[in-house]
Amino acid sequence: MFLELRGVTKRFAGLTAVDGLDLDIEAGEFICFLGPSGCGKTTLLRLIAGLESLDEGTIRLRGRDLGQLPARRRNFGVVFQSYSLFPSMTVGRNVGYGLVCRKWPRPRIEARVAEMLALVGLGDQAGKYPHELSGGMQQRVALARALAPEPEVLLLDEPLSALDAKVRESLRGEIRDLQKRLGITTVMVTHDQDEAMEMADRILVMNRGRIEQVGAAQDLYWRPETRFVGEFIGRLNLLERGRWQALLPALGEASHTLFAIRPEHVRLVGDDESVAGPVGEGQVRKVAFLGNMTRLLVEAEAGLVEIEVHGPLEGAGVGERLRFVLPGEHVSPIAADRR
Amino acid sequence: MNLSQGGAWRAAADGDRLLLAAVAGGAVLLLVVFVILPLWGILSYSLITPGGLGLGNYARYFGDPRFVSIIGNTFEVSLSVTAATIVLAYGFAYALERTRMPLRPLLRVVALLPIFAPSLVQALGLQFLLGRNGLVNRTFGTELDIYGFWGIFVADLLYAFPHAFLILSTALAVGDQRLYESAEALGASAWRSFRTVTLPATRYGIASATFVVFTIVITDFGNPVVIGGNYSVLAVEIYNQVSGQANFSMGAVIGVLLLFPAALAVVAERWIARHQHAAVGAQSVPLRARPNRRRDLLWLCYCLLVGAAILAVVAVVVYASFVRLWPYNLSLSLRHYAFDVQNGIAPLWTSIQVAFVTAGIAVVVVTLAAYANHQLSEAVKRPLYFLSILPAAVPGMVLGLGYILAFNDPAHPVYAIYDTMLIIAVCNVYHYHAQGFLLATTNMKQISRTFEEASATLGATRLGTLLRVTLPMIWPSVLAIGAFFFMRAMVTLSAVIFLITPSTQLAAVSVLYLDDRGALNQAAAFAVCIMATVIGFLLATQAVLRLAGVRQVSLIR
Repeated sequence: MFLELRGVTKRFAGLTAVDGLDLDIEAGEFICFLGPSGCGKTTLLRLIAGLESLDEGTIRLRGRDLGQLPARRRNFGVVFQSYSLFPSMTVGRNVGYGLVCRKWPRPRIEARVAEMLALVGLGDQAGKYPHELSGGMQQRVALARALAPEPEVLLLDEPLSALDAKVRESLRGEIRDLQKRLGITTVMVTHDQDEAMEMADRILVMNRGRIEQVGAAQDLYWRPETRFVGEFIGRLNLLERGRWQALLPALGEASHTLFAIRPEHVRLVGDDESVAGPVGEGQVRKVAFLGNMTRLLVEAEAGLVEIEVHGPLEGAGVGERLRFVLPGEHVSPIAADRR
Repeated sequence: MNLSQGGAWRAAADGDRLLLAAVAGGAVLLLVVFVILPLWGILSYSLITPGGLGLGNYARYFGDPRFVSIIGNTFEVSLSVTAATIVLAYGFAYALERTRMPLRPLLRVVALLPIFAPSLVQALGLQFLLGRNGLVNRTFGTELDIYGFWGIFVADLLYAFPHAFLILSTALAVGDQRLYESAEALGASAWRSFRTVTLPATRYGIASATFVVFTIVITDFGNPVVIGGNYSVLAVEIYNQVSGQANFSMGAVIGVLLLFPAALAVVAERWIARHQHAAVGAQSVPLRARPNRRRDLLWLCYCLLVGAAILAVVAVVVYASFVRLWPYNLSLSLRHYAFDVQNGIAPLWTSIQVAFVTAGIAVVVVTLAAYANHQLSEAVKRPLYFLSILPAAVPGMVLGLGYILAFNDPAHPVYAIYDTMLIIAVCNVYHYHAQGFLLATTNMKQISRTFEEASATLGATRLGTLLRVTLPMIWPSVLAIGAFFFMRAMVTLSAVIFLITPSTQLAAVSVLYLDDRGALNQAAAFAVCIMATVIGFLLATQAVLRLAGVRQVSLIR
């Protein structure tokens, strides 16, 4: 395995930020750490970078223990949320900084700086100072600076969070393309699920210092293992067996007490339509028009259920009564908690 | 990767740790030698009696009613000056920060004037104005006697005013416009919104200024020695005991007595500073005072009055330095600038040299101490931090006497620089170490940690990061710290008065000696030279910063 984490643990003043975490990262993959703020994702990235010291566990790169190796000896490229370009240096000197630290010969540094700046589309900006560039350009320089010393792994700590929505969108694609082109193993921390789903090969969902689930975006969306994952990625109706028994298709073992269905999978049924399975009925409490879809909050006898329908919807005002079914193929048992 | 390379990595990591340990260890060692040893010297000397170790000296002190009354005097004058200064400076700062009255920039400069002069200049000016042969008595034929409590009161009030003003105006400068608009929208009167919004928001500033002023006044030596008359205070009494009667053990006792209230005030001030949380968040709307003719006019009258008092005392010193013989012959003359008495002009050059050496040493020592403090982990840095801010609690007179008691011994290694300019500079560095250290720490904190982290992940060593990333970012603030030490070294009197020798006579001390001998005009001329040097140096530093395109760095502390 390329990068191997075993029992990785970090505590801050009584709080366990990362709690006995195991993870294998393959060479060349793009993995995202996703979770709410305070879940430990940034701490985990900093542990890998060597910016924090491990309390327990090991981190191995190609089988070599990184343990006490300081950040500057790991040869990992890091991009920070705040760009952190050195304000007193030009763009060119920023990009060349890691190479100067490695005592590369000057002509080689110059060639590499030019190459890296061209790579991020800023070939003509070498002589400028960071404050003369826009946020998006600064972050591209930071990327070039991190990649210049040919790092083993690229670590991105919320690299897009400080940018405008438009710039963020375009940089997502750029970073992903660059990563594929260079084939560099990349770890990115984000709290933005869209970002993670669009960019990553695999997503690691974290909560309270632990892994909730690791998998491709499709796995997490279609087969969330825990309630946390289901609710964090997209929206989710949670159905307790006790109350929803009558409408749930006969499935699952008796031990499953909680089931989940995505709002877009709940199917509305016309008044005169006949359906084979059980049909639920409820009153519309809220209607939210979201352009390409409409979201309804319906109060059924067993409780509230959220329904999303593509396109406009006729005859579904607040107070109207509706019929719906919960298609069996979309209802899945789900764990209330990882523990 | 093979094993030997792994070994090389370890060694390099140790190199980083070694550098930090060396810097921190060096800073701590110097602080122990130049702060703890002198304090220890004072404490142990105060316990040495003819009959062995004991509290005999203290018993003798408290058995003498004259000594006991000195403690009463000291507190009487310190507390009353503190109260008056805070009230007056708060009003002044409020007018400058919260109104749209005219002349604000000019009044700010006037309020800061006393900082540029040795503390005894206020007393000197008062002598010219209100002394027996002062302007007032001679003009109006009155018999006012300024010497004593009121002399010290007014002189120290003027001396401490800018320090309180700086803290209070910082506190008043920030504010959240939304709070005031809410108060107004809820129907609060101007007075009510002052009581419920302004006063609570600035209470930390007030408390902090109170303790700072109290420390300044209780430890001040220059003003009371010139204008105190028979009204003696602790700081002057140390000088009398040591320099007048060579009674070192009694000097040490008074030193210990003076140490306590000053230390308490500093501890209180630090405690407040630590518990002060940011009242203004990123979303606050900055405060903008609205014009109000009548209010602005009233405040302007008040500020002009206060400003005139400050200016008058300084101006009369400048004026007196240019007249033939105060107050009998007021025709203008440059003869006092000939400096044909005592050592002539030499003390000024000595002072400037000492100030440069002080600034040079201080910039290195203080920046490295702050750097180590910034890099070390929370638990490890405690002792370094404590030692670094400890000097704030040590009055100059106490530190100076401590240097005599600790180092005036040929067997002591520091004796090698005893009686030289260097020990005066070192004493200045450690006298003002806390202020410099706190300035440097604030500067370090303002630099986001991610710059250092970015540098580390790119492969830089700690030293490389310091030299290539950190220093290029903080050099203007480092320069400002140098300016602070230069200024203090030029005007300080208290600590160095015990360390000067005939060949290392200082300008501020010369002013005192000339005044003591009744050569008031020459004293005034010397004081003007000091002020001119300090202001000239600050302007030059400011020009350097401007040329380098730096604007946000304030040179006046």
